[in-house]
Amino acid sequence: MNSEGSQKHKGAEPIIRMLIFPASVVVLYGILFAIMPDKAFLALKSSGNVLLSIVGPLLLVFVVMMIFNVFVKPGQIAKFLGAGSGAKGIILSATAGIISVGPIYAWYPLLKELRQKGAGNSPLAVFLYNRAIKLPLLPIMVAYFGWAYVLILSVLTVLGSIATGYAMGVLLKDGRDRGA
Amino acid sequence: MKIAISAEGPDLDARVGDKFGTSKYLLIIDLDSGDTEAVPNPGASGQRGAGMQAVVLAISRDVKAVLTGYCSPAVRSHLAASGIEVLGGLTGTVGEVVESYRKGDLREHIKAEIESESGKGRFDRDALVQALRSSGNQFSALLPVLIGVVLLIGLFNVLISKDVLASIFSGNLALDTLWGACFGSILAGNPISSYVIGGELLNYGVSLFAVTAFILTWVTVGLVQLPAEIVALGSKFAVFRTALCFVLSLPIAILTVVVVNLVSR
Repeated sequence: MNSEGSQKHKGAEPIIRMLIFPASVVVLYGILFAIMPDKAFLALKSSGNVLLSIVGPLLLVFVVMMIFNVFVKPGQIAKFLGAGSGAKGIILSATAGIISVGPIYAWYPLLKELRQKGAGNSPLAVFLYNRAIKLPLLPIMVAYFGWAYVLILSVLTVLGSIATGYAMGVLLKDGRDRGA
Repeated sequence: MKIAISAEGPDLDARVGDKFGTSKYLLIIDLDSGDTEAVPNPGASGQRGAGMQAVVLAISRDVKAVLTGYCSPAVRSHLAASGIEVLGGLTGTVGEVVESYRKGDLREHIKAEIESESGKGRFDRDALVQALRSSGNQFSALLPVLIGVVLLIGLFNVLISKDVLASIFSGNLALDTLWGACFGSILAGNPISSYVIGGELLNYGVSLFAVTAFILTWVTVGLVQLPAEIVALGSKFAVFRTALCFVLSLPIAILTVVVVNLVSR
């Protein structure tokens, strides 16, 4: 299957897919309201409390997302990933992974193109691993786990990404652009 | 020098496509050799991100200019960031437009466009509106699932007892971390959901080791997107990477919690 072949879905389908999960949960609530209304009410109240606790951080997430959308351009990120498998390439790939936003599906066509243009396995693996660090979502993460935890996990994630990149380079004999 | 032209058909007689992101074809023309390649526009279906796919195509073909009927400010800024000049507002057949471009008849047009672009600066209104719209789209895409997760947590809090979770997460550090990694690998979606679920699991007394492995594998592993990764980057790459990420999540989770405990003492 090529990238064109995967573009058969029109706009409405992803929206329907996106709503299946919440709609299923609403159905579960409907069933619970019918058989145990008191429990359903408690569940709704509990959900309301969770939602209230994340509203503030969510607003902050929106603001950070907007700042990223103004400054971060996929074209620049593509250049970061094309810097080879040397130390510079790994650092740029890690940076690209950290600042990249949006769902991974949106990135696959770009990664495929970069691969065809000769981007190595190591930088691609480093990029994908560093997507675990979501700068725009940090407010939510900090609200739940605290600054110290978020900072330590982020640093270890970057180190883990380098280990993954190195291992992928060795496993897949990534010598095409070593030292670039 | 290569240029890309949005087109309604695969040859030079075709009309220039109205929109760069969604025209049927992108013709890649090498002005030096005269070679023409007709590429079906990956964004022709018009779904979200169509313009971005055309941008990726233009970058990957190393074109220096894009000629089209219309190009959105966001797509234009992505192309400009990659050093690709954009020339919009063009009509007629591809052959006519290419000939005009080759002769330099479009030079005044280009000059006017460049002046208007540089006059706008980095923070022009279009770019801000576009950023606001993109953020709104990203946000509205994550909200339905997040609300579903929050509602499910409510059900979970009321209907599932702590004993059920305790039967899975028994307090054994290695086993709990492994379970956390397994659940994170199977589930997928916006990472916010993993933070919210992870936070609730902590309230239930599940260890931070397990929760850390859970939120780490949620993003780095993702068995749900494995087929898409295989298509994009090959089965060997996707499978090796997924396996490595899963294995690595265990020591990273343990190390994170150990260091956090040391720091917070």
